[in-house]
Amino acid sequence: MSATVLDDAQPARSDFEWAVETHGLTKRFGDNVAVNGVDLRVPRGCAFGYLGPNGAGKTTLIRVLLGLTHADAGTMSMLGHEVPRHRDLALARVGAIVDEPRFHGHLTGRQNLEILAAAREPAARGRIAASLERVGMSQRADDRVAKYSMGMRQRLGVAACLLGDPQLLILDEPMNGLDPAGMHEMRDMIKSLVDEGRTVMLSSHLLDEVERTCDAVAIVDRGNVIRQGSIAELLAGSDVEVHVVCSSSQRAQTILTSALSGARIDVEGEELTIHLPAGTDRDVIAEINRQLVHDGIDVYHLQQIQVSLESWFLSVTSRLGESE
Amino acid sequence: MSVVTTTPSGLDAGARHDRRGSWLPSGAMITTRIMELRKRRGLMAAMAIVNIGIPVIFLTIRLVAHAVAPKSYGPAGGYDVFTSLVAGVMFVFGFIVAAAVGCTAGSIDLTEGMFRHLVITGRSRLALYFARIPAGLAIVIPMVATGFVIVCAVCVFAAPTTLHYQGVAVPAGLSEPGLENWAAQHSAEVVCGFPTRGPVNVACFIGPNGKVVTPPGQNIPTLKTIPRATLKADAVMIAHEDYADYKNYFLSPPVPLMIKSGLWIELEAIIGFVVGLGLASLMGQRTVPVILMIILEIILTPLLSRNVIPHLINVQRGIVGLAVAHLEPGGLPQVFGGGGPGSGDHLVPESTTVAIVVIVAWLVGWTALGAWRMATRDA
Repeated sequence: MSATVLDDAQPARSDFEWAVETHGLTKRFGDNVAVNGVDLRVPRGCAFGYLGPNGAGKTTLIRVLLGLTHADAGTMSMLGHEVPRHRDLALARVGAIVDEPRFHGHLTGRQNLEILAAAREPAARGRIAASLERVGMSQRADDRVAKYSMGMRQRLGVAACLLGDPQLLILDEPMNGLDPAGMHEMRDMIKSLVDEGRTVMLSSHLLDEVERTCDAVAIVDRGNVIRQGSIAELLAGSDVEVHVVCSSSQRAQTILTSALSGARIDVEGEELTIHLPAGTDRDVIAEINRQLVHDGIDVYHLQQIQVSLESWFLSVTSRLGESE
Repeated sequence: MSVVTTTPSGLDAGARHDRRGSWLPSGAMITTRIMELRKRRGLMAAMAIVNIGIPVIFLTIRLVAHAVAPKSYGPAGGYDVFTSLVAGVMFVFGFIVAAAVGCTAGSIDLTEGMFRHLVITGRSRLALYFARIPAGLAIVIPMVATGFVIVCAVCVFAAPTTLHYQGVAVPAGLSEPGLENWAAQHSAEVVCGFPTRGPVNVACFIGPNGKVVTPPGQNIPTLKTIPRATLKADAVMIAHEDYADYKNYFLSPPVPLMIKSGLWIELEAIIGFVVGLGLASLMGQRTVPVILMIILEIILTPLLSRNVIPHLINVQRGIVGLAVAHLEPGGLPQVFGGGGPGSGDHLVPESTTVAIVVIVAWLVGWTALGAWRMATRDA
């Protein structure tokens, strides 16, 4: 293994566009392809969600990026440094939690951080107290980790990430084990980290959390990235849903089916759910109301449903399933 | 409070001149590894009990027993006690304890989930591995040395002042003329009891009560038939011949022997640690490697060191325990052999050069295997 020195001979790049960039990244475990030719681009300075159901290959991709396991094919770079060639340079400014954060149970939280700081640059030791303070662990820093709850270990994991003054944080399911207050604090901390100019990439299957926290996402399923982009852009490309409660739902369905081409209408009691194609103008919704009233149907309730990331994710992944 | 804010211009400034990709560990890494091992109370307690506690308890019992009943129980220290403890206890137990520390150091980051945190720092995996070697040795060597120094101290300061040499009570600490003078005054005991036999052929030996016994009905001269001056001259000559032996075997163990013995058991402990570290790193766990190391030291090495298997003699010579046994300082009872001083012929024959090559090969080989596995395994 060659010794790479972080000095002027290999200046740090600051002009890179993507915090993480992969091309055709592939990782196999026997016949199982955990990461299948992934092309991923994580923009700098944002919170990026890496979304997927359990077993989709989220953690495997993170492990490959961090050099915890090797890739079978493809190229990747982090913070402008080619990985694994300049892994040490890239990881010098990366903090990460992978899987459940585990530490030496017989040591205190502070002592565990001392071990990790020693493996980083000398200045990292001076950041221990600030890191503990930031994750709210100062009071318990001198307790043995064996006595910590899952949530406290999660916080300690984040503190460990901060030791290297990271430009990129990769957090694998960071909300695991946190109570509602802890999740709220974690959300705020991620936002504050992004506000400081850092990039946070977090993998999760908690779509609601990702929607609240992230600016952009990539959806992964069965090792493939099936969509990526900003949440606003992705949701803009989803179907428009209109919920209607009226006096005669069956008649309304007949009227609207003939009036709206390309719409799908589901009826349940007095309620109709109208699915319109992506990009439908909102005047169409006003026209629905006009048409029903014109035909003598009393409209009690009419609302455009804001498509959530969760419903969009389910529709995207289910469509993918259907196509197979 | 917030962590230092990153600015694009200073992204790698903190990491500049940080030899993170180097295989050489930093001083801070070694220091924190020492701290991590030192804080393992169970392991440290076990080490202290085996390396220090057992000799201390043994010597304390001897001290108390001798103080209470000096005629029934000999002194706590002395040459014999020293050699028995070094070759019989400290050599084997030092190896096992050092191996346990090595197996712990080699596997615990993996089993406790810290290895991936360390890899994510970007630090070379080889540096992470090599940091464990000085850290572990910084614990093992002083621990073994502490036990050994206690044994040396007791054996020197509680050495016997009067001794029974071949059943003959001899004052300790005599110079050569002093021993010869004493022998002249106790010619019968010397002629009948000392290991060396003089030109005078006498049928006698020292009985259980320390008195000279002459067997009846023998056709050889007895003490009474030999002139007193002849007997005296014979005793002086025997004392002269046996003085080197007397000097070595009585009183406290000689300083050169203590130094050599100390270095020898430290060598065995270092081997135990390094092999344990490599084996545990290779296997990724602690329990099985510890058991394998104990089997190697207590069962395999004694068996393969004492019995020559014709077609496997070169394999036997490759056993590290046998190689270390060949470097055993003269004057100690043979380790693994079960014999007394000078019974070195029980070992499978091996030259000193081959023994050194075998030891170096084990140290380098297991270090390379462990380092290779740590550098290539999934974290």
